[in-house]
Amino acid sequence: MTDSGVNINSAVISAEESVSPTRRFFIGIQKSGPVLVPLLSLAAMIVLIIYMVNNPGGAIEARILNYGNVLRMFREHITLVLVGSGAAILTSVPLGILITRPAMRRYTPLIDNPVNVAQTVPGLAILALFLTIFGLGFRTAIFALWLYSLLPILRNTSSGIQGIEPGIIEAARGMGMRPWRILIRIELPLALPIIMAGIKTATVVLVGSAALSTFIGAGGLGELIVTGIDLMRPTLIYTGAILSALLAILLDNLLGSLERYLRER
Amino acid sequence: MIRFENVTKIFSRGTIPAVSNLNIEIPEGTICCMVGPSGCGKTTSMKMVNRLHSITEGKIYIDEVDNSTIDPISLRLDIGYVIQEIGLFPHMTIADNVATVLVEKKWPKQEIGKRVDELLELMGLEPKIYRQRRPSHLSGGQRQRVGVARAMAANPPIMLMDEPFGAVDHIARVRLQNEFLTLQEKISKTIIFVTHDIDEAIKMGDMIAVMREGKLVQYSTPEDLLSTPADEFVANLVGGNRSIKRLHLIRVSEILNRKVATVNMSDTLEAAKKHVIENAFNVVYVVSDTGVLNGFIGKVELKQEGEFVKDVYRSYPEIISDEATLSDALSVMLSNGESYVPVVDDFEHPLGAVSLEDVFKAVRQDD
Ligand SMILES: Nc1ncnc2c1ncn2[C@@H]1O[C@H](COP(=O)(O)OP(=O)(O)OP(=O)(O)O)[C@@H](O)[C@H]1O
Ligand SMILES: [Mg+2]
Repeated sequence: MTDSGVNINSAVISAEESVSPTRRFFIGIQKSGPVLVPLLSLAAMIVLIIYMVNNPGGAIEARILNYGNVLRMFREHITLVLVGSGAAILTSVPLGILITRPAMRRYTPLIDNPVNVAQTVPGLAILALFLTIFGLGFRTAIFALWLYSLLPILRNTSSGIQGIEPGIIEAARGMGMRPWRILIRIELPLALPIIMAGIKTATVVLVGSAALSTFIGAGGLGELIVTGIDLMRPTLIYTGAILSALLAILLDNLLGSLERYLRER
Repeated sequence: MIRFENVTKIFSRGTIPAVSNLNIEIPEGTICCMVGPSGCGKTTSMKMVNRLHSITEGKIYIDEVDNSTIDPISLRLDIGYVIQEIGLFPHMTIADNVATVLVEKKWPKQEIGKRVDELLELMGLEPKIYRQRRPSHLSGGQRQRVGVARAMAANPPIMLMDEPFGAVDHIARVRLQNEFLTLQEKISKTIIFVTHDIDEAIKMGDMIAVMREGKLVQYSTPEDLLSTPADEFVANLVGGNRSIKRLHLIRVSEILNRKVATVNMSDTLEAAKKHVIENAFNVVYVVSDTGVLNGFIGKVELKQEGEFVKDVYRSYPEIISDEATLSDALSVMLSNGESYVPVVDDFEHPLGAVSLEDVFKAVRQDD
């Protein structure tokens, strides 16, 4: 038996051994990327907050940009995002799994269509709509954000599972795996990158959408931006916008690490 | 033993049956090859055995037990299954792929590891190298080997193999076939082997079931299929030149009776010369210290400058094992451009040679 795999393998090993120090440096950076980027964005946020509090650039700004205030808004923002997307994950992933079960396939449109429609309504309108039902405040904001991130996660969960090559599932069935074992050992691991892509997209979009929550009194970094617009103080707008952008980068990377961890398990 | 009794499969009402009124019995420890054109119902018949498809009418008995009375999960755990497109799990290592059924059967971890290594070795895949690889990092032939190893993991008495060697080139397929036949001599599984290659069916099958449009056209031994095809369809399938097909039926080991002398690399050319002149094909084999066939010296090589065998010998482009068929032997002769082919054992030690004349004689005797 002289299949060529053996030679290829040894070639790879020797190539790795003979890399130059500079290349090794860059490979090192690439490998530490998952840790480096979140750390950098976290550091950037801290530096930005400290700098802005100490150099507000005006009396009006100084009144708003103090540690207590900024950290409160920051905390509110993170809570909105995490609770909103957390709730969306907990509903969409099981729902997505459910509608891909063979027995459920024909009900897929029944669930897909309403969720699709919900997605086409602008975020601000959703907020206004639920304002009339739930009143002002945190709960309304969470509800709207949850509704808003249902679709990308649901869509990706179901299409990730449906996209698996039928032969793979059939091999698993033919070897005597029970349906739930197929789900756990075959379907979810294979669909994981696509499901995680949906979760990442939803979360990043949510960081932006959560800024709108300030209109219904749910706070968050949107407060900084809206106040900045009202008082025509660009410093406030920039601070709010950059902080939420950094938060989006941070969350995106943390979710990427989570995906890598799940995949290697 | 597997027995199909009046088995019919209709996928949706009103359509013509994918399989109609199929009756076959596959004795313990034999290979039944199902062969026929695309869409004739081979895969469908096979999938009714492990209940991936339900049976519309009729019964399938496994060791005299009606398979519709067996829980599908435990039925499948005890039947090896090699799928048409291989179906390896791309996110799992080779070891985890092979271990699938063992994990489902809740074997202890240590035993799984031992069994996986054993299977990989059996299929000619060095465990140290391949255990942790992903399927995408294997050649087509290696993937087929893993597919077979995975199906054999729990040592099931029955195997269903749907075109198991379909996705590789001719040379790799011949090798896989020969290895599998040697293996089968040891393990004696009851096997349904689906193929649409009649040559493969003739070579692999103890019995051949020829199917056409869901119906069984002929069920017989390869020899009977060649000598008395049931109708024109089978005759066409088998092809015009049936004595050439017969080459697939005879093993090199059955007709091997020519010895060829050997010399060592360090022997002198003078010593080789004597053997070359005496030999019918005017060659002498050159072997290494461990007895492995390295090449040969013929008349042309003798005329070259040099004192020792190692200075002038030439290696063969291709050699064959004694498990190969006469058809393999013939094609190697053609590619080597010689009227004989060197035959070696599993360790590549020379066993002798088969000549074109031997092949002709064997086919004529068979007539
Ligand atoms: N799940 C299914 N639903 C409906 N019809 C099917 C299904 N599977 C197979 N068929 C039909 O049954 C017939 C037999 O198909 P089958 O897959 O058994 O053919 P085959 O002999 O294995 O062909 P091939 O050599 O191409 O694999 C075909 O006409 C096919 O279209
Ligand atoms: Mg088929």
